[in-house]
Amino acid sequence: MTIDLIDIALVAGKIGLIFLVILGLAAYLVLAERKLLAYIQERLGPNRAGPWGMLQPLADGIKLITKEDVKPAGADKWLFYLAPAMAAIPAIMIFAVIPFGPPITLFGREVGQQVVDINVGLLFFIAFSSIAVYGVALGGWASNSKYALLGSIRGLAQLISYEITMGLSLVPVVMLARSFQLSEIVAAQQSCWFIVYQPLAFIIFLISIFAECKRIPFDLPEAEGELVAGFHTEYSGLRFGLFFVGEYINVIVLGGLAATFFLGGWHGPLLPPVVWFLIKVLAFAFLFIWVRGTLPRLRYDQLMHFGWKVLTPLALVNILATGWFIVLKG
Amino acid sequence: MSVINDTKAILVGMWTTWKHIFGPSVTVQYPEEKRIPSPRYRARIVLTRDPDGGERCVACYLCSAACPVDCISMQSAEQENGRRYALWFRINFSRCIFCGLCAEACPTMAIQMTPDYEICNRDIMNLLYEKEDLLIDGCGKAPDYNFYHHAGIGVTQPRGAGDEERPPVDVRSLLP
Amino acid sequence: MPKLIIDNIPVEVTQGKTVLEAAKSVGITIPHFCWHPALGKAGACRVCAVKMVDGPVKGIQMSCMLEAQDGMVVSTTDAEAMAMRKQVIEWLMINHPHDCPVCDEGGECQLQDYTIAGGHGLRRYTGKKRTHVNQYLGPHIEHEMNRCIQCYRCVRFYQEFAGGTDFGVMGSAGRIYYGRVADGPLESPFAGNLVDICPTGVFTDKTARFRARYWDYDMAPSVCPHCSLGCNTVPAARYRELLKVIARQNDAVNGWFLCDKGRFTNSAVNAPERPRVPLIDGRQVAWEEALAALLLRIREIGTEYGAESLAIVGSSGLSMEAASLLHLLHEKTGAGSLCYFVDAGEAQQSATVTACLNEQASASMADIQAADLIALVECDLLQDGPMMALAVRQAWRRGAKISLVEDAAGTVAQNDNGLNSTDKLPFEVERVASLIDIPFADAAHPVIIFGGGDKMSEVMAEAGKTGAKLACLLGGPNSFGAALLAKEYGAISLAEAVADKKVRAVVSVEADIPPELLPKLVVVATLDWRNTETVKAAHIVLPTTAWVEMDGTYINNEGRAQRFKKVMQPGLPIKGLNPSLHPPREHTPLVPGGQSRPAWEILVDIVHRLGSEEDIQLFAGQWQRLRDLDATGNGLLLTDIERGIK
Repeated sequence: MTIDLIDIALVAGKIGLIFLVILGLAAYLVLAERKLLAYIQERLGPNRAGPWGMLQPLADGIKLITKEDVKPAGADKWLFYLAPAMAAIPAIMIFAVIPFGPPITLFGREVGQQVVDINVGLLFFIAFSSIAVYGVALGGWASNSKYALLGSIRGLAQLISYEITMGLSLVPVVMLARSFQLSEIVAAQQSCWFIVYQPLAFIIFLISIFAECKRIPFDLPEAEGELVAGFHTEYSGLRFGLFFVGEYINVIVLGGLAATFFLGGWHGPLLPPVVWFLIKVLAFAFLFIWVRGTLPRLRYDQLMHFGWKVLTPLALVNILATGWFIVLKG
Repeated sequence: MSVINDTKAILVGMWTTWKHIFGPSVTVQYPEEKRIPSPRYRARIVLTRDPDGGERCVACYLCSAACPVDCISMQSAEQENGRRYALWFRINFSRCIFCGLCAEACPTMAIQMTPDYEICNRDIMNLLYEKEDLLIDGCGKAPDYNFYHHAGIGVTQPRGAGDEERPPVDVRSLLP
Repeated sequence: MPKLIIDNIPVEVTQGKTVLEAAKSVGITIPHFCWHPALGKAGACRVCAVKMVDGPVKGIQMSCMLEAQDGMVVSTTDAEAMAMRKQVIEWLMINHPHDCPVCDEGGECQLQDYTIAGGHGLRRYTGKKRTHVNQYLGPHIEHEMNRCIQCYRCVRFYQEFAGGTDFGVMGSAGRIYYGRVADGPLESPFAGNLVDICPTGVFTDKTARFRARYWDYDMAPSVCPHCSLGCNTVPAARYRELLKVIARQNDAVNGWFLCDKGRFTNSAVNAPERPRVPLIDGRQVAWEEALAALLLRIREIGTEYGAESLAIVGSSGLSMEAASLLHLLHEKTGAGSLCYFVDAGEAQQSATVTACLNEQASASMADIQAADLIALVECDLLQDGPMMALAVRQAWRRGAKISLVEDAAGTVAQNDNGLNSTDKLPFEVERVASLIDIPFADAAHPVIIFGGGDKMSEVMAEAGKTGAKLACLLGGPNSFGAALLAKEYGAISLAEAVADKKVRAVVSVEADIPPELLPKLVVVATLDWRNTETVKAAHIVLPTTAWVEMDGTYINNEGRAQRFKKVMQPGLPIKGLNPSLHPPREHTPLVPGGQSRPAWEILVDIVHRLGSEEDIQLFAGQWQRLRDLDATGNGLLLTDIERGIK
């Protein structure tokens, strides 16, 4: 295998592009969320920084950068500094395996519209989403604060529980696509999206990703009404910003995955594939925000009960049923 | 079936918020548009004068006693004619919570609240209103009331010449 | 001992007590205006109505007029009684002016309280109000007759209790008027009590007119510093200004009242010329510098004239705390003399009194009131202890015989203003030539009151023979304590010290150094809060706090230690303060002119600077009992051991 400079440049270009797009999207997602929540609550939302508040993310960014970086007395210094990165980086890493369009030809060679198309893409995603749990765990533990610790304990239990249902809900997808490779899974949905075959798996996956990105109604690790700000109570400035941006990157990434697994990825009529992919991702983002504007937070016992006693058995039954279906269909 | 009910409840909730996204906003864009408060709105406090132009405030200390945040302070003193007045009267608007208890406590209708809510200031010391800043040339509410006409101890009129008084008693009279 | 039932509570009282007092003894307060514990009953206001449910009398009765009897069943909450009380209030309010906001009594007014308690909020009577013309009653008391509710308290106090003759009640029916025949200052030296005793605002304190409200006063239990009797007071201050003084009940000392001297002569506390900043030769300096300069000058005196030329001088006005530390200063400086008194006569008198007045022999004011024979020897009661004259009057009203021993000149010396001659005493005296002429043997509770002087030893001897109790008028509020300390540390008076030795320097602690001595001194250092001649002439002035600005203890003329509490923060009164200083423009804990410190604290500081390592504790040794003295109680009568009497 020879290493081609152009290949390297292409990969680097893709990585750079994705970085920019994702960070930009995440920043404007914050604005979109504030605006949408405001509209839901019959307010106007941010409208002072630039037209329609379009410069608000910039203002927020400047504010976060210029704020004092506070480390609580007694905090575990290195873990405290490491945790926000642990929360944000895996989320971006996952995007490496998501295909946002069919391969195109560039400089005379076929270039996939995804950073890397590995054959265990789905397992890569699950592995990295597990690593993201460390961000929550370490952040809460290293802060030396009771609120943060309580938040991170909740977060750990919640994320681990819902990772299982998430994983189980993806098993039928793999069975149908007969591959762990995300491009294969997308390709398998060319004629019919998996949501049609697997509505139950989709719902379980949807609920699980809500829990995975710790958003209402599953925002128990933060639970500002009870735990101040949960696991990131003690963080300030840019480190808090990393947690915050990480959450929105998570929204984008998980939206993209949901589209990839169940809504046919970049497939769609008329419009270019990338645009379709973007539409689907944004639709999921909108759903996240809409749900946040509607539902109240679950109680901790309800969360655990729902995850272990409802979703997990359902996902298992669904796997069995899918197996039966595939066997019968031959 | 509770699953159906629960799902329905969630969907109804989602539909409700969906509708509100497109509804009108209640936000008032403050510096550009201003809301006109009702006449009895409780904002900036003033000291009024009686119909004859005298200061209504007799510095009785009831407002400062009623004030839950202790933002009113004063010193009472006596004028030549025996009228009690405030030597200095001070309201610290950086503390005031505009609860209106002072105006309610005022027995002479001197301290009153106005709808002027725009008294923000960049320097907190400017929120310390002295008597000169508080006193207005007018009666405000209760335009006819003059405490001393009813007080029954003279000052603005000879003793016993008030609205509800008889002339002073002749102690040395032997009449029954 | 009648037993009765009030509101279902069984009560037993001594014979002769009224139903109102019986109720009071079990914590039931029946409203009353005219009844007063010291004045008794009048039955004038009708507001103490109760319902007699069962017993010797039945129906609505005035509880203040009705003697408690066996078998009475009383209801204070009966609907009929309550309606009666409510209507009485409404009826009293018919003529009461609508002037609470401009009345100084507002907030501390019994009529106001009962009107609110009775629920009388709206005037129903549409007729006109009766009015009166006011009188000028002198510089201390403001008169506002329109507010009067005809309870007769003022006239009963003024004429009956205090023996005044220039104030009374006039007119009849709706024209009743309390005042003088013509405008003019009230003559009784107890007139100030009208302010306290009036249940509404007819008499108010003119010196504190329109200054503050009751709820804003800084108040604390205190003791009057103007004579040796130690009457209990409540000074009321506001904005770092002592506004007025209210009498505080202490049955063992002053009862319910206070003389005008104690009530109206406190303006020195607010005086703008009062020393408030440490001074070196008239230059304002920081504490640190002033104390260093004091130490330096003491050392200079030591090297130049010898330490024995230094005198440490205390006074009878100094609190016991500071006085008990003076000897430390004496020891550490090696000063030649330690003086607790300036005047040799005063020192001699106080020493004799403390030596003879044991716990049993000393007569409290309560003892004087209960006496049946009182001998006055060489004393000017109205000058040196007016409240004792009031106590003697109470004994005289009960039938005690008062004998005045005339001195060689035939009369007690008349004072400058002529007001304090024996003719003005509020009781009749029988003049005798000598103590021997007084029949002590016939009396059950004889008391001898003396003011010191030549006959001291004779009086002591006579008292020893007759078993009469003794009361002596001393010079200052803590003369007794100062004399005990002087005896303990072998101190002499400054006059004697000057006569004996070459006193070249003086450290005066709230003492008045004789003006003729001042020019002869090389160094005068004074700790004082008053602007005295000594302070004006002093080279070093350290400002101390007045008695209302600190906690302290005085031991009065009978050896009763009494604690006074800090009433107000030391500092320049806000009244008259430069407007740029108030309201303060910057956040600082410092008060303008608030650098004064209690004398004892300064003394401790000086002693430490003189090289003492020891942890100085107030009231060590035999004074231990004074540490936890309760300011609100009756005080602590020193035992014979504490008095140093074997």
